[in-house]
Amino acid sequence: MNMSEATREVYWNVPYHNLIYVFLAPTLVIMLWGFYRRFRLWKAGKPALRTDRLGERVDLFIRNALGQARTMRNTYAAVFHTGLYLGFIVLVIATTVVAIHADTPLKIMQGPFYLFFQSLIVDFFGLFVMFAVLMAWYRRGRLKPAKLVYTDEANILLGLIFVIAFTGFLIEGWRIVVTEDPWGLWSPVGYVFGIASAKVMSTEAMTMAHRGSWWLHMAVSFGFIAYAPFTKMAHVVFSPLNIFTANLDGYGASLKDIDFEKAERFGINSLPDFTWKDLLDLDACTECGRCTAVCPANTVGKELSPRDIILDLQKLMHDSSDELLEIAAKRQKGELEPPKDGEPPPIPIIRDDHAVNKEALFQCTTCAACMEACPVFIEQLPKIVDARRFLVMEEADFPEGMMNVVTSMEQRQHPFPGTQFTRTDWADGLELDILADMADPKEAEVLFWVGCGGALVERNRSTVRATAKLLKKAGVKFAILGREESCTGDPARRIGNEFLFEMLAKGNVETLNGYGVKQIVTSCPHCFNTFANEYPQFGGHYEVSHHSQYLRDLVEGGRLQPVHEDHRHVTYHDPCYLGRHNGEYEAPRKVVAASSRTDIVEMPKSGRDSFCCGGGGGMMYVDEPPDKRVNQERAQQAIDTGADVVAVACPFCATMLEDGVGARKGDRNVSVIDVAEMLLASVGDEEAPVAGESSAG
Amino acid sequence: MNILVCIKQILDPDLPARDFKIDAANKEADPKGANKVTNIFCENALETALQLREKAGGGKVTAITYGPEGAEDSLRKALAMTVDEAVLVINDKHSKPDAIAVGKVLAAAARKLGDFDLVMVGRESGDWGLGQTGGVLAEELGLPSLAFVDEVDPDGDGLKLQRQTDNGSEVATVKPPALVLITNNENNVPRIPKTRDVMMSYRKPLQKLTLEELGVADEAVGDGHTAFEVTNLYVPEKSVSCEFVQGDSLDEKVTELARRIHGIVASVN
Amino acid sequence: MSRVQIVLFSKNGWDRGAQGVAGAGRRLADGLGAELHAVVLGPADDALKNGLAAAAQKVQVVSALEEYQPEPALAAAASLCDGAAAVLFGNDTYSQEIVPRLAHRLGGAPMADAQKLEVKDGRIHVTRSAYGGKALSEYVMKATPAVIWVRSRALEPAEGDVGGAVEEATVELPEAKLRITERHEEAQEGASLEEAEIIVSGGRGLGGPEPFEQMLAPLADVMHAVQGASRAACDAGWVPPNWQVGQTGKKVAPELYLAIAISGASQHLLGMGDSKVVAAINTDADAPIFKHCSFGIVEDYKNVVPLLTEKLKEMQS
Repeated sequence: MNMSEATREVYWNVPYHNLIYVFLAPTLVIMLWGFYRRFRLWKAGKPALRTDRLGERVDLFIRNALGQARTMRNTYAAVFHTGLYLGFIVLVIATTVVAIHADTPLKIMQGPFYLFFQSLIVDFFGLFVMFAVLMAWYRRGRLKPAKLVYTDEANILLGLIFVIAFTGFLIEGWRIVVTEDPWGLWSPVGYVFGIASAKVMSTEAMTMAHRGSWWLHMAVSFGFIAYAPFTKMAHVVFSPLNIFTANLDGYGASLKDIDFEKAERFGINSLPDFTWKDLLDLDACTECGRCTAVCPANTVGKELSPRDIILDLQKLMHDSSDELLEIAAKRQKGELEPPKDGEPPPIPIIRDDHAVNKEALFQCTTCAACMEACPVFIEQLPKIVDARRFLVMEEADFPEGMMNVVTSMEQRQHPFPGTQFTRTDWADGLELDILADMADPKEAEVLFWVGCGGALVERNRSTVRATAKLLKKAGVKFAILGREESCTGDPARRIGNEFLFEMLAKGNVETLNGYGVKQIVTSCPHCFNTFANEYPQFGGHYEVSHHSQYLRDLVEGGRLQPVHEDHRHVTYHDPCYLGRHNGEYEAPRKVVAASSRTDIVEMPKSGRDSFCCGGGGGMMYVDEPPDKRVNQERAQQAIDTGADVVAVACPFCATMLEDGVGARKGDRNVSVIDVAEMLLASVGDEEAPVAGESSAG
Repeated sequence: MNILVCIKQILDPDLPARDFKIDAANKEADPKGANKVTNIFCENALETALQLREKAGGGKVTAITYGPEGAEDSLRKALAMTVDEAVLVINDKHSKPDAIAVGKVLAAAARKLGDFDLVMVGRESGDWGLGQTGGVLAEELGLPSLAFVDEVDPDGDGLKLQRQTDNGSEVATVKPPALVLITNNENNVPRIPKTRDVMMSYRKPLQKLTLEELGVADEAVGDGHTAFEVTNLYVPEKSVSCEFVQGDSLDEKVTELARRIHGIVASVN
Repeated sequence: MSRVQIVLFSKNGWDRGAQGVAGAGRRLADGLGAELHAVVLGPADDALKNGLAAAAQKVQVVSALEEYQPEPALAAAASLCDGAAAVLFGNDTYSQEIVPRLAHRLGGAPMADAQKLEVKDGRIHVTRSAYGGKALSEYVMKATPAVIWVRSRALEPAEGDVGGAVEEATVELPEAKLRITERHEEAQEGASLEEAEIIVSGGRGLGGPEPFEQMLAPLADVMHAVQGASRAACDAGWVPPNWQVGQTGKKVAPELYLAIAISGASQHLLGMGDSKVVAAINTDADAPIFKHCSFGIVEDYKNVVPLLTEKLKEMQS
């Protein structure tokens, strides 16, 4: 046999096969209508710029849409999703090849291509698809992870896919056997199906069954195509689109700005107030549940579920589509009436008996674990903050602990009501330069931005003191702002008081620019994030480092020499606003490594997948029920590593984890220590003795 | 229901002790570097007034303060809390008016501004904490008054007042006009203003009055304390050193703690 | 001869507060070379009459004021105190209410929360806290009469017996436009906070009402103590507002004040400053409360309080 002549008869045993084109037309019409139906809903949203920076978008698309990088993070899902994903692509190509071969002059389905691709590879992927469906079913039926949404739709879709693949093999097998296809072995799965059938079926029966199954295969396939846009299968289109239009600036820069002079409402409690990208997000959801599975609030048993927030809003969007379109049309014509006082907004999103409710919204620590987990780049966090903004700014209806903090930030420019510490008494005896007192503030090359959590909270005064001492030891020319320092506004912004954030931001930028500050070092990742991602829009452009980054550079540059090494076992907790929000995982680990004799014992949830301390997003100021405390959950994870030291790099983490460790450590001796404190001990300082040095290690 | 709430702007009582400095020459706290805030009981009074307006189904709440131009901030905050009108009686001359002077000025202003059904005053301020202004003002206006009130409700054509006492509470009724001195409870924690109201508060009119316009003679409210004089103001030296109970285990430490407590308890009983 | 007047409300009887006022009045009168007269607003019992008669040359009882009403009480006080060089009150609700009005009505000088009274060169000097306890302030009284409420329980009772006369006073009482119609006493068993010799107080660090009931109440029981709280705990509604110890709450003067999970804001310290011994339980060794303590323990109250209760029970049996 000559391999180059290898082919088969297309549409064998299928008279009137051209009817498929007749059926295909309405199928495609329904499918396109289905997609358009969703598309026009997104168009009802407000504008958002998400088509700029094409190069970056293409790159992101290749990695995460085509390459499925995030989907791959879960092994089980990676296997079966790859089966379905690649299977679909291969089988669609194969079907297209058949159509081209049969109905155009291009006779491409022959030779080695026919044998290797159209027969062997297609068979392999067909089998892979069936296997993938079985895996998915097993997960839904037996493993039953809580993160999934258990709907009939999901089972129907899997059933249809299985039927398509299965009938494909049946008709292939019967054709091979009945036509005695000499190349049949190149389609091994079909071949096995055929041989097996031949044992129990006559040739006539197989021919009849083939014809029937062929039409069934076609009907189910076309049905699936038409049905898909009305189900979560629509994600095959929406998810890549969503990835292409994702936020390119990192989670630290994901909150929207508000123009207070123009905005009719502050924050969002009305579906049409979302941008088109927010609405696309809702449809892009694949219901994989990874966001909720990693959500710290949800993990400790609170109500918040980012998955349900998205799905709840998605359902709301579909159920109120007519109203949404009507509002969009009015808005386009400029006929939309501004909201009246006290009147409920159209299509309200914050509803007591739904996922987007007041309680759940104020359980979010803004840790962005949900966004990092989402394979299709849905932005849950900004939506939560949008809704918070509405409750905080329009309704003044939010948890009391946060109210006290907001008041404190307004009146005293710091979020620690009742503190008895001042901005400078942590530095007693260090004789630090204060910008306002310097003859020439420009002499300070670096501003050490202490942060409220460092200066005003008992636990962290030693951290900022250690940082200042290290800077001095290294001979860095730095100064502090002292009394002129005020909160960057981070807690206000995450709580939802954007107005207060703006006031604080503008004030700080004015102060900093007034002194001509260029370079900032800060011990607080929240301050760091604000400087790096949020102040530029207020005219504040600074080169900002987290203290761990600056200290690492000093160590690597030889300006600080760690001499003592801590013998204890250390685990490191990534602060959300340093790690996930700003991608810095290495610098603090380097500082720990420089100060410690042993390697870091990593927690299972670390780095990109780190679990929040529970203190972000204003949650530090809210009383959590004793049995649902995020900080204790994280402390337990740290304790479970067997480490003696939980190294931290954030004042919020330090206080939250110290509290959590205290509650969970039992008889064990576990300390929470900032990386700067570790390094100071290692460099040698009378105030910071090295622990474990005298012990056997 | 026409309500007048008298408020005072004071040095932030939450100022850390270390930042608290005394201006020895003037015998008052050094305001440099310290925030000014509305006295908390005045905010409790504002909140009680706003709740009364809601409960009465309408009415007008006017906030008034006698103070320097900077006290406008406190009035703006009151406007943000949604009081209807704000009045600043400008005091640009007398840095240390006593309660009698303040009472006279506020009384003159209250008479000028109209008929008030209820005048509200905080029970005392977080600076000097003398708690006298309300009583003096009640005398000046000849109104019945009640102190330590934490709730006011409409009661027919009168008012029902609830107040705290040493070991419980009392309810009183009064036909307006009357004056109450407000103290705090869990229900009159000052509201957080809505952002739009904060923005609006800067656009709302704010009436400014001078002593001349009120017909109050300078000498009647002259400088310094007329009824008494501050002779000294200082930060007391307090150096009690705490002895932390010692022990190798929690049990030992608590035993030591118990022993000490038991000693005192036994001597008392 | 000039006179110093003290005014008491019959409701509280001859309690520690009344004794402190009488003592302060006696000493002030001696310092001014004046007589001491006492007024009791309301029907007085024998203990009160006798106690006052020992300290004051003259005791006038206004029995017609059966129950306290602000306006008649003020009118009676104004009528009986007119012409006095100084008028002293205690620090109960009614006294604090009346003092400023009375002072102004008599053309005198009001003064609140006096911790120390002295006579120098024939003038009355007062020492008291200011700025939420951050400072101490001293005053000289200029207008007459000086109408002062004192921190009575912290002041020493009078010594000796002047054998004063007790008489019924008749004054014209105006009709009350404002009427107190209901009086409720909070069921805090045993002594009131101000009278308490032992106080167990809880703060913000307790996190909710439950620890007050489940941990501090049994401890207070064993210690025969009255329970108090910081402003934060009262404002949060965890305990009734009249448990509040502080600048704006109760000023207490017990033999032992045990502060649990109270950081020690200055306004709280002001209310407990007259305690003989202060002890604290707090996780934060740098909490300001420890700067005002005789002894303390740096531990979580959750671990300490139940154990302490148990140990104290053992020691008592």
